[in-house]
This record gives sequence, C-alpha cells and structure tokens, in this order.
Amino acid sequence: MIDRMKQMQADLDHLPHLHRMGALFSETVLIKVDGQEFYLVFEKGRIAQLLEGPSKKTPYRFSFITDGAAFEEFWTATPKPGFHDIFAMVKIGRAEIMGDMLLLVKNLRFLKEVLALPRARREVVE
Amino acid sequence: MNIEQITGRYLTVEVAGRRQRIYFEEAGQGRPVLCLHTAGSDTRQWRHILNDLEITAENRIIAFDMPWHGKSLPPEGFLTEEYLLTTEVYMETVLAVVLGLGLDRPVLAGVSMGGRIALQLAVQQPEAFSGFLAIEASDFQPAWYDIDWFHRPDAHGGEMGAALVSTNISPYAPEAERANTMWLFMQSGPGVFRGDLSFYTQDDSLVGQLHRIDTAKTPVHFIVGAYDFTCTPEDAQRTAEQVEGATLSVMEEVGHFPMSEHPKAFRPFFVDGLARMPKAKSGAS
Repeated sequence: MIDRMKQMQADLDHLPHLHRMGALFSETVLIKVDGQEFYLVFEKGRIAQLLEGPSKKTPYRFSFITDGAAFEEFWTATPKPGFHDIFAMVKIGRAEIMGDMLLLVKNLRFLKEVLALPRARREVVE
Repeated sequence: MNIEQITGRYLTVEVAGRRQRIYFEEAGQGRPVLCLHTAGSDTRQWRHILNDLEITAENRIIAFDMPWHGKSLPPEGFLTEEYLLTTEVYMETVLAVVLGLGLDRPVLAGVSMGGRIALQLAVQQPEAFSGFLAIEASDFQPAWYDIDWFHRPDAHGGEMGAALVSTNISPYAPEAERANTMWLFMQSGPGVFRGDLSFYTQDDSLVGQLHRIDTAKTPVHFIVGAYDFTCTPEDAQRTAEQVEGATLSVMEEVGHFPMSEHPKAFRPFFVDGLARMPKAKSGAS
C-alpha cells in the first residue's frame, strides 16, 4: 500500500491542473487501509510529505478508512458498482469518512482525483 | 462543419400565479415525447437523444429547462427569495408546458427528480399523458449528504455539486461525456441544485400512492443504471413493485445521468422504453 501512496504523490507532482485545483488546500488527510495509517500532508495542491503511522500525534482534518481489497478494486479501470467512487464505497459499507466533512466537500473534486491517481487506464474499444 | 437538428425557442406560461419564460428544445416529428432533466442541470442532458436521427424520425422529442435552470430565467423578484422546488409547482410547470405547446398526450420521460415528478403525474394527472418512462426514479430518496453544502457564500456550489454527483457516473462513461455531465452542474445557478434537492430528498408525498397508477391506461417503464448510488437498482425495483404492471430494465454500465454520461449505452434502453409506450394517434407515425 505504501507503494500506491508513493505513486499517488509522484503522479500528483506532474499534474499542474491539480495543483491549480488544490491551490488552497494545505491540510493533512489520514488514509487508513487495513489498519495501516498514511498521513498525506498536502501543501498547495501537492503531497509535500507522506508519513506512515501509527501516530497519535499527527493532527489531520479528515480521514478515509477502507480495506486493501476495496481500494484495489477502486483502482481498477472499471471498478464494480460501489467501488468506483469514495462516497459510493461508504454507501456500500466498505469505507468510512470521518472528520471535517465540509472541508472535504469544498475540495471534493481535487481529492477524488488525487485518490484515483493510481487507477489503471481503461482501454476504450469503439 | 455540422449544424445540428435541434431547435430552441421560448414559451411564456403562468405557473402558480407567476409568469415563467421557459426555454425548450425539440427535434423530430410524430409521437410527442416530453423529456425532463435531473436536478441541478438542464435540457442539454438530452442533447444526444435530440440529435438521434432514427429516434426523431418517429418521435417529436421535446425537452425544456425548468425555471431557474439553463436558459429559463428565474421569475421576477428572484433575488430576494429562496428557491425551493415543490411537488405542486413542478407538476404545474410540466402541465403548463404540455398545454402551452399543445402536446396531445405526450410520453413523459423524466430522469431522477424528473422521474419522480413523472411518477407523481402518473398518479395525479395520468390523462394528460400516454405513458411514462421513469428513469433513475424512485418513490423517495432521503439525502445521504447535507443539501446546504451546495449553497454557501464561501465555496462554489456548482463545483461541489459536480464533484458530489460524479459519485453516480459510471466508469464506463466516455471521459468527454463525463466531463460535460459535470459541467452542467458546475453551471447551475446559486442555490438551484439545493432547491431541487429539497424537493427530491424531503418531499415523500409519493410514498404509498403508486398503487393508484393504472398501467393499462398509461404504461410505466422504469430504467435504472447499476452505477447509480442516488437511486440504486434496488430503489427502482422497490418502487416498480408498487406499480402493478410496471416493467423495469437495469443498465449494467450506466449511472444516474444515462442520456448525458453514456448516450451510446443508454440509447437501446430508451428505444426499448419508447417501444413499450402507446403509438402515436393516426396521422402521425
């Protein structure tokens, strides 16, 4: 999972449209997968630091909690219904979002796109 | 170069004692089919169906922007009022358009909140229509979000709304159409999506009424996408089971905005739905 997080961090570095979208987002987000903690420290739309937990001392604004199998399905090119979106994952009971929901919603498009960065590209057949 | 066949005009009607200038688009000839957009969006959601040469060869497809949406301006005095859609005003608006355009018992095809009002009209005013396509439609959906998120002075409600509704767009949707579908929400006026959601997530007046629909007189066909997490296939199924004689189709690779997000996958289901509706009267194909 740490490799996925590092991939997310590296991919984000090369996407200027996301830097624009997240220019006002400088907050820490906890991603918890199978109990493993990853703190994404965002700075103006980039992941400035990626910290591995566990930690009781790292403040964060909200958390996204899921399991590895659900996250891997989320990252496939065409996830099954319910695994295609972080809110849908919450609705089917495979994820939880805790903390400052309004802050998440204000930056929702940015965060959805960042979390989906490891997603495999879909082969488009016409 | 390509000039599309869609034409757009304005109709002025009175709804609930207020003058409303309503923008509508249409294409084709034959059986009238009146199409309703979802919450927080407008007629452009129907652009692919309106441009479908085969469908419009036998059907006069008409779609209109609800007041406050798209090119239909809000009514006079709107700057000092809170937009909150109600079942009564929504029904009256649809009926005013039917009357204003002189439509003879059109098929009513509504999506999401449009599907909800189509079902309300199937219960309360069935004689004005020949049949109903209830798309991504259910009897009631409580909100799984706070509707007040989408109208605040410190954030762009349209951008937040688009990000929220992307939950309901299928990963099979072509990227360009996913983007267009979201753009329509981004363009929605301040407070409009919230005002639509107020109707959609708080008005439960349809619950317990669906048994009154007589599908022998006005058939009802439900269409729902597997990637719709606002009105899930289970929600549509639960609703369809309350309408004796209603039928239901599930689109496996589509979400909550079928005609806009994935027109190619939606088309056969829409064509099938139209085939289940009564033919036009003699004189029209």
